[in-house]
Amino acid sequence: MHKKMAFSFPDEVLEHVFSFIQSDKDRNSVSMVCKSWYEIERYCRRKVFVGNCYAVSPRMVIRRFPEFRSIELKGKPHFADFNLVPDGWGGYVFPWIAEMAGALPWLEEIKLKRMVVTDESLELIAKSFKNFKVLVLSSCEGFSTDGLAAIAATCKNLKELDLRDCEGDDLGWHWLSYFPDTYTSLVSLNISCLGSDEVSFSALERLVGRCTNLRTLRLNRAVPLDKIANILRHAPQLVEFGTGSYTADLRPDIYSDLAGAFSSCKELKSLSGFWDVVPAYLPAIYPVCSKLTSLNLSYATLQSSDLIKLVSHCPNLQRLLVLDYIEDSGLEALASICNDLQELRVFPSDPFGVEPNVSLTEQGLVAVSSGCPKLQSVLYFCRQMSNEALVTIAKNRPNFTRFRLCIIEPTTADYLTLEPLDVGFGAIVQYCKDLQRLSLSGLLTDRVFEYIGTYAKKLEMLSIAFAGDGDLGLHHVLSGCESLRKLEIRDCPFGDKALLANAEKLETMRSLWMSSCAVSFGACKLLGQKMPRLNVEVIDERGPPDSRPESCPVDKLYIYRTLVGPRFDMPPFVWTMEDDPSLQQLSRANLM
Amino acid sequence: MPNMELQLGLALPTPNMIKGFDLNNHRLDHLKQRGCFSNKSKRSFEQAFGNFKQDGKTKTLLLWSGQPNEEEDHKDQKKTTFSTIDDNDDEEVEQVVGWPPIKTWRKKIFNQPNGVGGIENNRVADKENGRSIYVKVKMEGVAITRKVDIRLYLSYQTLSNSLITMFSKDKKCGDDDSTRYILTYQDKEGDWLIAGDIPWQSFMRCVQRLKIIRNRD
Repeated sequence: MHKKMAFSFPDEVLEHVFSFIQSDKDRNSVSMVCKSWYEIERYCRRKVFVGNCYAVSPRMVIRRFPEFRSIELKGKPHFADFNLVPDGWGGYVFPWIAEMAGALPWLEEIKLKRMVVTDESLELIAKSFKNFKVLVLSSCEGFSTDGLAAIAATCKNLKELDLRDCEGDDLGWHWLSYFPDTYTSLVSLNISCLGSDEVSFSALERLVGRCTNLRTLRLNRAVPLDKIANILRHAPQLVEFGTGSYTADLRPDIYSDLAGAFSSCKELKSLSGFWDVVPAYLPAIYPVCSKLTSLNLSYATLQSSDLIKLVSHCPNLQRLLVLDYIEDSGLEALASICNDLQELRVFPSDPFGVEPNVSLTEQGLVAVSSGCPKLQSVLYFCRQMSNEALVTIAKNRPNFTRFRLCIIEPTTADYLTLEPLDVGFGAIVQYCKDLQRLSLSGLLTDRVFEYIGTYAKKLEMLSIAFAGDGDLGLHHVLSGCESLRKLEIRDCPFGDKALLANAEKLETMRSLWMSSCAVSFGACKLLGQKMPRLNVEVIDERGPPDSRPESCPVDKLYIYRTLVGPRFDMPPFVWTMEDDPSLQQLSRANLM
Repeated sequence: MPNMELQLGLALPTPNMIKGFDLNNHRLDHLKQRGCFSNKSKRSFEQAFGNFKQDGKTKTLLLWSGQPNEEEDHKDQKKTTFSTIDDNDDEEVEQVVGWPPIKTWRKKIFNQPNGVGGIENNRVADKENGRSIYVKVKMEGVAITRKVDIRLYLSYQTLSNSLITMFSKDKKCGDDDSTRYILTYQDKEGDWLIAGDIPWQSFMRCVQRLKIIRNRD
């Protein structure tokens, strides 16, 4: 019988085949082929990705994938980065650690983003996983260096400790001395977000010295420049390095020490740090510049001329993060020198000033889009834009996958024509057919959303602020963007109609955030009742929404799909709209 | 600190402004106060959001009224996070929460010299840790306001040289080389003085802003 052939491969063979399939999407597809593939796949899945920690419970994940070794979890919505999510909203990792502690003693990797990580959680990780290797905390908060000390002291096989943009209590550097003298397996250490001034370098130097496999080391602002040379000499094999404070009195001995140390690092490909940079010390890195593929100067307050000089030594740059001090002239130079550039981020040096403090305009972006054929990811803060420029940019670079433009003053029109920037952004979505991520700004009407709904078929994440005329705008997006997973909106006149008309769409997305819009409490309740597989969270620090009329708009709304219903760890200013009790029975049954 | 009262003249001073604090909560408190009580807020609201058609938006764009989050205070003693608010410049727009969209972490690199809050990190005189001190520099007749890190200079001479380079491209056509300029600065008390009279170190500690004006003698 032909049917038998499908099952004639022993499980081990299929497992072996599946082991070559790494991406989650592909793994998910594999698991849907047939029941036996589902079963085989779930036992051999080693990496689990949970994009929203409240979409599913740890127990469910463990039940389905009993043998995973690596987990990536994300907590708060993206707008939490900009203080739009009040403290205490949620995203606690402890319950996950607690569940995994018992069930997965061989867990090796934990990667967390925008979650609350307490010292207790860190201590539990250290205690529970004997072969723990990788801890990446990105934009997390809630821990102190005491928790890090627990990890250092206990995790003998730790390879990676990466703290990016975290907010914690830095109580000093002594946690580093908790790494035992016998510990040598560190490959990657990123402590750039710590900041205590109580520095003790001997522990750091000894650690760096004995970990001969160290490839990535990102220091923080508290490490002075005259300590860098010594550290680099202990680790000439470094591939990625982040300096501390790049300033010192101008002394020839410090300079030559530093230059010598950098010269001996033949493998360096990525540099970052450069806080408080003094231009006179920059040439010390010239020996390594020609090999650099990634350069993060986003904390470096250098003038345009110094930036141009530096960049001209780095023709192989693929990734550049820089402040807008680079100005249009610097970006023009960049465009002519760095032909391999793939990612550019230009941050504002004076975000809250009204007058421009630097000569950076849309021209810089036009230049880069023209001169860098491989450019696909852009984050650009500026103060003026025109439709003409955006159209040019779109035509120059149809290969954009990420385009995030922030015109600093909200609702700024095209400075040449005073029209909205609908046409410009419309060109971006029309020409850049593979666009996955888009952030809008400037003066925008519903028209731009019509363009987006029509053309942005691969768009997965969209950020909107101070834009649109009414519900039609939101409707275009929800009904037209087939690949949309994350939508975040603030200060737009979008109300109930579009949301309710596209309720089903919300189940196909990870999440929707709307703050300072016009969605009424009544609509939220209705949505919550009708869609049991969505959590409709109303976040309102003014007090309970039912103390106001139903037509009153809610302050903030966070809607996400979930298999596990309302969460139980909500603070007093968050309400989850109740499911319709009759529907509730149905949805619970579906979970079994 | 007399300086505080001057700068926050149009807003109710809050006790939170004086000690060090976490950007997350206390910035919101400040905005709440200004938003509710300051005349300035209205003007700049129109400035910023003049295009909005819906009237009901006023409230939603400014902050909701609520209670400042007191429980954050005790955590701040040990924290080495710094505050970055520059809210004493009357040329600045009323700030909307979370706009422009810059990560909290990134905002922390801008340490203002007249920083709100007596946080240790404002180490003006301490060369060891090299904290930058940014002051705005305006030149008469030039639209763009620049910023310089005073800590990069060792004397009035080096500062002037750098400023000359910086502004040379901005000189108006009417000026020629014989036009003389005077460098003036605003000190902590808010007075405008001619730069050069006090020792450089003292100058570094008290300068708030710089202005280059034409010598009309």
